[in-house]
Amino acid sequence: MAKKFIPKKQSGLGQFVDSIFILVLVYVSLYIPLWLKSESAAAAANNGPKPTWESLHLPAVIQEQWVKLGYDAEKAAALIDTKFDYTIDPVMLLVTAAVIIGYFIYMIKVSDKQYREVIAEKFGDK
Amino acid sequence: MNFWQVLSYAAWIVSGLLFLWMLADLVSVAKEYDEDFLMSSREGADELMDQ
Amino acid sequence: MSTSAASATGGERITMLKVLNPFHIWALGVGIVLVGEFMGWNFSVAKGGAYGSLIACWVIGLLYTCVAMIDSEVTSTVAAAGGQYTQAKHIIGPLMAFNVGLYLVMAYTMLEAADALVVGDLMKSGAEALGYAGLDTKPFVVLTIAFLAWLNYRGVFMTLTLNFVITLFAFFAILVLFLVTDPVHPGAVLKHSELLTDLPYGWIGVIASLQFGMWYYLGIEGTCQAAEEVRSAGRAIPLGTMGGMMTLLVAASLTWYICSGLMPWQYLGQAVTPLYDAASLIGNTKVQVLLFIGTMFSAIASANGCINDAARAWFSLGRDRYMPVWFGAIHPRYRTPYRSIIFLIPIAVSFAFTGLLDQVITFSILSGLLGYTFMSINMVKFRKKWPLNSIKRGYIHPFHPIPAITLFILCSAVYFATFLGYGASLLSIMAFYIVASLWFTFRRYQFVKRGDQFTMPWPRPKGY
Repeated sequence: MAKKFIPKKQSGLGQFVDSIFILVLVYVSLYIPLWLKSESAAAAANNGPKPTWESLHLPAVIQEQWVKLGYDAEKAAALIDTKFDYTIDPVMLLVTAAVIIGYFIYMIKVSDKQYREVIAEKFGDK
Repeated sequence: MNFWQVLSYAAWIVSGLLFLWMLADLVSVAKEYDEDFLMSSREGADELMDQ
Repeated sequence: MSTSAASATGGERITMLKVLNPFHIWALGVGIVLVGEFMGWNFSVAKGGAYGSLIACWVIGLLYTCVAMIDSEVTSTVAAAGGQYTQAKHIIGPLMAFNVGLYLVMAYTMLEAADALVVGDLMKSGAEALGYAGLDTKPFVVLTIAFLAWLNYRGVFMTLTLNFVITLFAFFAILVLFLVTDPVHPGAVLKHSELLTDLPYGWIGVIASLQFGMWYYLGIEGTCQAAEEVRSAGRAIPLGTMGGMMTLLVAASLTWYICSGLMPWQYLGQAVTPLYDAASLIGNTKVQVLLFIGTMFSAIASANGCINDAARAWFSLGRDRYMPVWFGAIHPRYRTPYRSIIFLIPIAVSFAFTGLLDQVITFSILSGLLGYTFMSINMVKFRKKWPLNSIKRGYIHPFHPIPAITLFILCSAVYFATFLGYGASLLSIMAFYIVASLWFTFRRYQFVKRGDQFTMPWPRPKGY
C-alpha cells in the first residue's frame, strides 16, 4: 500500500481568505470585458445628424413594427447601426486558440499526475 | 407613494429579512452542533443505487 | 445539544427513495432549460440574423444530442450527488474535477442570475403596460434570488410534480401564442416575407450565432442530478433526456418562427423577453398575460433548479476540501447544503445587477461549453480505463466514439463562434479558470486526502 497522505487541516482564517479570493476572482473576470466595453463605447460616440424615418429607408412593414414596439427613429437607428465587427485578427485568434488548448493540455497532464497518486494510495503500488 | 413604489420597498424589505433569517440560522446551527457532525456526510457508497 | 464526532450520522446517509420515472426526468431537464426559449436564444439573431439563428438552433441541437447520449451512459454508472464533478475525479483526475465543479457552479449560477434579471425586467414591462414607467428592477431581482435560496435552504424543493405542471404551462403558452399568430394564413399576423432579411453578416454570421444557439438547450444535462432517485436509470435517463431534447427542439423552432415573423431582427437580437414582446405586439391582452405568466414561471422554475444544482456542486467541492471545508456541511434539520446556498447568493445577485444579460449568459454558456468539451474527452478515457465488460453500466450509448468526436468538433466551432464578437469575454473567462487552476494546484490540493477521492466500488483502472 502506498503511504497514506495525511493532509493539513486548514484554519478558519485560511478558509475565509480562500473564500474571498475565489469571490474576487469571479467578479474580476466578469467585469474585465465590461470595463473594456465601456471604454470603447465612450470612444465611439455618435456625432452625426439626428436620424429620421426617411433617412433610415426602411420598408413600410418593418417601420410599422418598430413603431408598434415603441421605438422612434432615433432609438431604432441606435439598434440598427450597432454592428458586430467580425474581422479576424489572426494574432488574437492564435493567442485565444493557444490559451484554450494549452489550458486543457495543462489540466489533463497535471490531473493525470495527481490521479496516479490517488490510484496508488487507493489500490496499492503495482 | 403609489402602488409600485410600495411594492418595490416591500420587495427590498422581504429580501433583507429572508437573508437575515438564513444568516441567523447559520450562526445558531454552528453554536448548537459539533462541526465534525455537520461535515460527516460521505460521497459514494450511501448514494449509489443498488444496480 | 452536541453530538460526539464518533457518531457520524451525516446528512446524506439516508438513501433516497427510488420513485422517479422517465416523465420526471423529462420535467427536471426541460424545467431548467425551457426558460431559454423565453429569453436569451435571440441574442443569436444579433450575431447572425434570423436565418443564422435558425441554423444555430439545429446545429447546436446536434451538439446536445451527443451530450445527452454520453452523459446518460456515464451518469447512469456514476450515480452520485456530485454529478460530472464526481465523474471527473474518477476518470481524469483532481485538477480536472476541480474545474468541472467550477463549470457546474458558474454555469448554473449565471443562468440563475439571468433568470432573476428576466423576472425584474418582466415586472418593469408589466408595470409599464399598466401605466407606470421606469420601475426599478433591482428589488425584484433580489427578491427572486433571496426567496428561492430561502426555499432551497429550508429543503422545500419544488417537487418534481410541481415543476412538471409549471413547465407544461410554459410550453402550453408557447403553443397558444403560435396558434394565435394564425400560422395557416401566412402574412395575416406573421410577416416573414417582409421581416426576414438576407444574412446580415453572411455565412460567418451563421457561425457566430452558434454561441447563443447553446441557450436553447443549456442545462439538459441536469437530468443526471436525479440519477440516484430513479427506479431504472438505464431506461429512464436516456428516455427522459432524449424526450426532453425533442420537446426543446419543437419549442425552439416554434419560438423562432413566431418571433422572426413579428419583430425586426435588430430589435429581436437584443430583446430581454422576446416571446412576451411578441405577444404584446399581437394586441390580444389575454395572450399577453399568458406569456407574462409563462415567462415568469419558466424563469422561476429554472432559477430554482439552478440554485439546487450549483449549491450541490459547491458543497461537493467543499466536502472534498477542493474548496474550504466549511462549505461541506449539511444542515442537521433541513438536510441541505446550506452554507453553499448562502455563499452563492451574493455572487448571483451581483451578476444579475450588472443588467448585462448577454455577458452573464456568455459566462454561463462558456462554463457549460468547457464542461461539454470535458465530456467528450471523459467518454474516451472512461471506455479506455474501464472497458465495456469490466464494470456494470446502467446504459451503454451506441456508436462510440462518433458522438464524442462530433461533440468535440462542434464544441470547437462554438469557441470560434464566441471569439467572433465576444473575444474579450472568452479570454477573460479562460483567465478565470486558469488562475483558479493554478490556485488549486499550488494552494488548495495540499488539504485534500488522496485515496479518499476515489469512492466508486470499481476495480483498478486499466493501464494504471
